[in-house]
Amino acid sequence: MGNQAKVKVRNLTKKFGDLTVLDHVSFDIERGEFVCIVGPTGCGKTTFLNLLVKLLEPTEGNIFIDGEEADPKKHNLSFVFQEPSAFPWLTVEQNIRFGQETKKRPRQEIDQTTEYILEMLGLKDFRNKYPHELSASTEQRIVIGRSFAMKPDLLLMDEPYGQMDLKLRYYLEDEVIRLQQAAKSTVIFITHNIEEAVYLADRCLILSQKPTTVKEEVQINMPHPRNVASKEFIQLREYITEQIRWW
Amino acid sequence: MARMKKWMDLLLPVLSVFLLLTLWILLHVRKPDIMPAPLDVLQKLWEITLHPISKATLPIHILVSLGRVLGAFALASVLGVTFGVLLGWYETFHHIAWPVFEIIRPIPPIAWIPLIILWCGIGETSKVVIVFIGAIVPIVLNTVAGIRQVNPMLLKAARSMGANDMAIMREAVLPDSLPSIVAGMKTALSTGWMCVLAAEMVVARQGVGFLIIRGMDSGDSALILAGMVVIGVVSALITVALNYLEVRLCPWKVTQK
Ligand SMILES: Nc1ncnc2c1ncn2[C@@H]1O[C@H](COP(=O)(O)OP(=O)(O)OP(=O)(O)O)[C@@H](O)[C@H]1O
Ligand SMILES: [Mg+2]
Repeated sequence: MGNQAKVKVRNLTKKFGDLTVLDHVSFDIERGEFVCIVGPTGCGKTTFLNLLVKLLEPTEGNIFIDGEEADPKKHNLSFVFQEPSAFPWLTVEQNIRFGQETKKRPRQEIDQTTEYILEMLGLKDFRNKYPHELSASTEQRIVIGRSFAMKPDLLLMDEPYGQMDLKLRYYLEDEVIRLQQAAKSTVIFITHNIEEAVYLADRCLILSQKPTTVKEEVQINMPHPRNVASKEFIQLREYITEQIRWW
Repeated sequence: MARMKKWMDLLLPVLSVFLLLTLWILLHVRKPDIMPAPLDVLQKLWEITLHPISKATLPIHILVSLGRVLGAFALASVLGVTFGVLLGWYETFHHIAWPVFEIIRPIPPIAWIPLIILWCGIGETSKVVIVFIGAIVPIVLNTVAGIRQVNPMLLKAARSMGANDMAIMREAVLPDSLPSIVAGMKTALSTGWMCVLAAEMVVARQGVGFLIIRGMDSGDSALILAGMVVIGVVSALITVALNYLEVRLCPWKVTQK
């Protein structure tokens, strides 16, 4: 089990009626790897994550997590969705506790982690507020906090920083790497922002237009924290942008 | 400007009540024998608070009516929410039960009175059953609507964090539909209050509806109006209590306004 890939995708195909979204996609994601997925709008990135956590059933093919059929009840994973998904009836703090409570973590651990996460995301002042009282970008921070607090082995993020300002975005990019390294998590991170992908990823998967396949994989070996102004960084960024612009 | 508005907010309600009283007094002056003066009605209220009619003073009559409503309301809440959740969540159950509900639903609760009296007699049960019929319909309707409007993103979020079906129902579906369920309960309680008065007017020895009928039978128009005033005041108090309860039950919704 030790050397086995964290996520194995085999011949994964998803059709919605006549529309083929994913077309016999296969790849592996290693344990502890940080993978960014980039690709054109509507190519099936969100669909892939939904398949991975069994919110959708594949038309054909399989996904395995730790060699087994994926199951959120069994695997310690968490998902930051593209759309707002904070629970409106829970306060900021209760939202952050939610996943930990579902996973039945010990009370003391939940208290500690929750404090840490509130601090990390700058949510301490809002702990007793309801999500609708806060801005969209703050609501997204709640959802990110809720996910981070679960210390997931497998963290899935679907354009999580899309609507945030640059400063917060840079800060949270560093935080997700910190979390990944501390918890030895595997991260799958979807983004439209190539600079962000190059900043974060150990490996970047470039998807094609529908019917979607993996067009290319780019290994990124630079150490963290990466310098966005370095020659190597800019070259990689331009290369990946070129690959996407190609169609 | 703001101060002006504050004054208006205070002044307008006072003005409208004043207008109502003026109209009342005008009617009284034109037809004194069938329209008692406001003061006569107040006096009547005082009188029946001290001296029992049909072995009960006014507060007792009010409590009797309220008791019937609250008993039926509690029953309707438990059964109505359960039934509504089943209807809203389970497609098969919806196919089976919705048509039946849809046929029975439009029958006004008052139309059930004769049948219920035939079945349950003229005791307490029949009044509770009539209120129950009136109260359960809005609860079921609102529960179904609430469940069907649950935000699918939130279900996905709960499921992706490993919640099982029970937990998803308890932690996501019910809380997200709670505001709608509570709105249904508010409607149910005011409908229930109307139903109990109707039922009491047909057959009862105590209760506010009975007071009005007693007033009619004895040609005591002050008593009739006293009963009507009590109905209005109690309804208003119920609304205030329910609004308060709504804030407690759904704090996230109320601050949204
Ligand atoms: N439930 C569904 N039924 C039918 N078609 C769907 C469904 N979900 C997604 N699609 C279609 O599948 C395609 C892929 O959608 P998906 O949301 O996975 O794309 P995406 O890569 O995440 O796009 P974006 O970059 O906009 O987030 C789109 O054409 C979309 O219209
Ligand atoms: Mg998407």
